[in-house]
Amino acid sequence: MVEQIPPRPPLGKEGWRDWRSMKTKSKSEFRKRDIFYLVPLWLLSLIAPDPYLYHKKGFKKKDFFYLGAICLAPLIWFDPHFHHLMVLAGIYAILSLGLSLFMGYAGQISLGHAAFFGIGAYTTAILTTQCALPTIVAFSASAVSAAGIAYLIGRPILKLKGYFLALATLGFGEIFLVIIRESTDLTGGVIGIFGIPWFSVLGFSFDTYLKQYYLIWGVLIGLFIFSKNLVRSKVGRALLAVAASEDAASSVGINVSRIKLEIFVLGAAFAGMAGSLFSYVMSTANPEAFSLGLTVLIVMMVILGGMGNLYGPIAGAILLTWLMDLLSKYQEYSLPIYGVILILLLIFFPDGIGTRLNVRVIYLIGYWAKKKKRDEGKL
Amino acid sequence: MNPLTYIPQLFSSGITIGAIYALVALGFVTISRASQIINFAQGEFVMLGGVITFFLLKVVNLPYPLAALVAIMIVILIGFMMHLSVIYPLRKASILILLMATLGASIFLSSTSGLIFGTLPKALPSFSGEQPLQIGEISVLPQSVWVLVSTFILLIFLYLLSHRTLLGKAMEASSTDPLGADLLGISRSLMVFLAFGVSAGVGAFAGILITPIFFTSYSSGTLLGLKGFVAAVLGGWGKNSGAILGGFVLGMVESLSLAFIPSGYKDAVAFIILLLILYFRPKGILGSPFIDSRRW
Repeated sequence: MVEQIPPRPPLGKEGWRDWRSMKTKSKSEFRKRDIFYLVPLWLLSLIAPDPYLYHKKGFKKKDFFYLGAICLAPLIWFDPHFHHLMVLAGIYAILSLGLSLFMGYAGQISLGHAAFFGIGAYTTAILTTQCALPTIVAFSASAVSAAGIAYLIGRPILKLKGYFLALATLGFGEIFLVIIRESTDLTGGVIGIFGIPWFSVLGFSFDTYLKQYYLIWGVLIGLFIFSKNLVRSKVGRALLAVAASEDAASSVGINVSRIKLEIFVLGAAFAGMAGSLFSYVMSTANPEAFSLGLTVLIVMMVILGGMGNLYGPIAGAILLTWLMDLLSKYQEYSLPIYGVILILLLIFFPDGIGTRLNVRVIYLIGYWAKKKKRDEGKL
Repeated sequence: MNPLTYIPQLFSSGITIGAIYALVALGFVTISRASQIINFAQGEFVMLGGVITFFLLKVVNLPYPLAALVAIMIVILIGFMMHLSVIYPLRKASILILLMATLGASIFLSSTSGLIFGTLPKALPSFSGEQPLQIGEISVLPQSVWVLVSTFILLIFLYLLSHRTLLGKAMEASSTDPLGADLLGISRSLMVFLAFGVSAGVGAFAGILITPIFFTSYSSGTLLGLKGFVAAVLGGWGKNSGAILGGFVLGMVESLSLAFIPSGYKDAVAFIILLLILYFRPKGILGSPFIDSRRW
């Protein structure tokens, strides 16, 4: 005897629910309290990074909101300390934008980007103080030298995966630090190089924090638009494929090792530019700035912003720069607190604060929408 | 002065530092045998072992053996607490998150120890006398002999633990075949917990052995941990024998390199070896049980 399959209950009746019918139903119902959470959510949606960014095309209203905020913020809040902080945040954002392409999109791990940052900074420092080249030439040379060294080091290193790639890049960072400390006649050893001139283009010198702010955020926006176009191009999709599965990516004709090398070199060029700007802003270059601590900081920026998201590293850079500034008030307690905060952030927001917040918000909307029915015992 | 004349001397000091690298590498391997975690705070356990012993000896005025024992116990407790507070909540996270979390723990441990015990470098007294022993043309510190003998005893202990007891086999099972271990009723979290305790203890022991020879300060742990990792990769990742061989080879190469390059570049030697070994033979000298079967 064949067992009879019970017939499916009709739509919208008790027992079986179609989520579409539920959605239309709740949409038609208007409740006053919806207003209370819709307004803050709308505001949050303007600010919070979008977790599903690469499904969208072009620039949205949100981007112009960000652009306006970036242009106006230093004028509204006219405080040199704020300007300096945002200058640093912008430099770290350039650095972590390059790292985000490598880590978030291509799915690799690099703990050596601080070294490329340092290479950029030292190239600028040496070229401007010892060779007295124009600053814009030194800026370009920094990007080129960082990219060149990344090409040389990337060829062998990028064969590795996972922990071992992380370790190899970390080892490269340590070698860089040792070389910088020891070749004293070129780099000044542990003391570093002083008296790097301000960045200047055609006689216009960026000598105040406000001017530097616009310089750095201008560079950042340019690189951001470049990266955004890149990840929407064929290369960007190839990167996502490599991150998902290298075997599958190579089976559809992607040259995996070449594309990983390309994105590593590009990230290093970003880091070189950031390093160059850093040495112009700080007017010194010393090895302590490029140690393991910086690597941890920028990787945390990428993680906290959310992997596979270009707004993420910028948000993470601003957040962590502010956090470091807040912590510096506590003097010797700052590093232990920093360590604890890092661990807590990793435990509670392993895929980025923005992503996790958005997921949380979607969950809360669903919870609130269903609460009335749940209270009545219908759901 | 001809560098060849002091090569035997460098050789003997290389064996001493190699023993320490071997112990640090064993700490890494112990954890990696129980799970696929690389604990970057391993070097901090070494530093804490030395610094806490110094604190107990000089401030609390305990006798030396008791101070060392209590310090090892405290570091084992710290290892347990680190597992419970950092690794256990992140047991399902990706390797990048785990890596960063152990780096965060490393920052926390080193800076906290600087805060509590002071930032000055510390040196413990030797276990027995400062008079160097003359063997032919080489003079050897008695502490070096202690280091070698203690390392040897600890190696035997760890070998027995990991190859001759049910616990060691359970630890290895939980790493090599997580599903099989679950089916046999092995608690993987408990195994990682115990592995953290063992590796913290080994690290603290290494710290106590090394502090009479090299100064230990709050920030010296990170570099030592990284070099221990290099040693573990050099010998063959995931093998006790590989860690030991890698440690001694790394120590000797680093020490002998002093005859040919300026001493400031000594720290770079280990990482250049790391890059070379990863490029030409990622399995390490003795081969690794993990490299072929899983991502690495």
